[in-house]
Amino acid sequence: MFRQEEGGVAPINFMWHLVWDFRSELLKGLLTAINVSIVALLLSMVVGLIFALARMSRFKVFSIFASFYVNIFRGIPALVSVIWVYFGWSLLFGHNFTVFQAGVIALTLLYSSFFCEIFRSALQAIHKGQREAGMALGLTRGRIFRSIMLPQATKIAIPNIGSMYIGMIKDTSTFAIIGMVEVVRVTQNLNSTYFQPFVLYTAAAGLYVIIAFIVDFIFRNVELNFAYPPQGRIAKFLSRKKKKRIEELMRST
Amino acid sequence: MPNSEVLMELSGVRKTFGTTEVLHGIDLQITKGSHAVIFGPSGSGKSTVLRCMNLLEEPDVGSIKFLGNEYGPGTGSKSDGKRGKPIELRRKVGMVFQQFNLFPHLSAIDNLALPYKSIRGGSLSDAQERAAHELNKVGLLKFAANYPSQLSGGQQQRVAIARALSLDPELMLFDEPTSALDPELVGEVLSVMRNLAESGMTMVVVTHEMNFAREIGDLNVFMEAGNIVATGGSDFFENCTNQRAQEFIGSVL
Repeated sequence: MFRQEEGGVAPINFMWHLVWDFRSELLKGLLTAINVSIVALLLSMVVGLIFALARMSRFKVFSIFASFYVNIFRGIPALVSVIWVYFGWSLLFGHNFTVFQAGVIALTLLYSSFFCEIFRSALQAIHKGQREAGMALGLTRGRIFRSIMLPQATKIAIPNIGSMYIGMIKDTSTFAIIGMVEVVRVTQNLNSTYFQPFVLYTAAAGLYVIIAFIVDFIFRNVELNFAYPPQGRIAKFLSRKKKKRIEELMRST
Repeated sequence: MPNSEVLMELSGVRKTFGTTEVLHGIDLQITKGSHAVIFGPSGSGKSTVLRCMNLLEEPDVGSIKFLGNEYGPGTGSKSDGKRGKPIELRRKVGMVFQQFNLFPHLSAIDNLALPYKSIRGGSLSDAQERAAHELNKVGLLKFAANYPSQLSGGQQQRVAIARALSLDPELMLFDEPTSALDPELVGEVLSVMRNLAESGMTMVVVTHEMNFAREIGDLNVFMEAGNIVATGGSDFFENCTNQRAQEFIGSVL
């Protein structure tokens, strides 16, 4: 390729070999991003579920509080959130989080508000006959929630959880600003040495896209395993003992 | 009737949804071993009466006496009945819904075993053994491993009946159990119910199947606009003197 210059053309030098040369740095950055986002995913799901229950609560105090929480944190960009947690917290309370902790907290604050809405809509999508059947059988409220509502809601929520997780991984890119050595920070460091923004940022984008494909694949399999009856290979493997037991019962009864 | 011991007694039961009173004071006695049939035009409050019987709807006024306990707000006068918890009543009253309300995420056998284990305790394999026994009674043992989505409507309803029966109820409530079924599937469900009636189970059935009602009903209750308009024994269909009930029976039969 060529670029127009005074009095002629000069070749642009794309140093694609940099991507290969610094593969371990880039992959380490990616691993950091994945670590932060997975911990934050697990926490967000727990916190989100609690807020979903609070939001649906009969008690106005809980539902109003949850609704405020959702609307506040859903509206804050990740970049602002992480700066606020990392620098703000230490200014206000004199406690310093590590970069990793700050990233996890920032993501959890934001995404638990999304998960709250995902779980709330999933729980509300379940036909009211399900709860009534549980009540009519004399099951306790806790049992109805754990054994009937939650498994069905999880199935409904899985595709949305997958999309949210891809968003969480991408949002870790903003943590470069507090010095977390994730993909973007590694890219910035390499770029300041080699000045190859096109090559290096293309590589970064490629890494995020590859991860998005992998996450999609994983979540699609998880979804299959939550199908009725379970469809995935893993689910079939896990339920083969159960099936054997039922077949035995069918013979002996 | 086998004996005259009253199993459940509704006195002055009123229920209001929003600003509309749908039950205007229902008095009804269900004797042990009897088969009550409630029928009437849609919107007459049949299903609401049934749902009050296992407290899926709490009466706004009136009381329900069952096995020595009293439920609901009471009749106003100081009653001597012991107050019972709804969950205790529900564990002794089985309910079958128009829409089956099986748990879609569980196999047929686990639809029975999960509530059984949760209420009776013990191991899952004990619960499954009991479940297999009940499924066998409704002729569905070979579908034990199937999920509800893999069963026909009639089969699903039979699983639902087996699920309620597995908890050894004193009273079985049927809320239009065949209304959601294809005509050719109605027979198999009615035959299970017929067997149950013959075994001496106390049953309250809301239905539009007048031939079935005529066959098993030893207490026939005609409802209209939130009131019990006429009641009678097994000769009700021949010797009913109430004009509205006669008109209704004539139009349905």
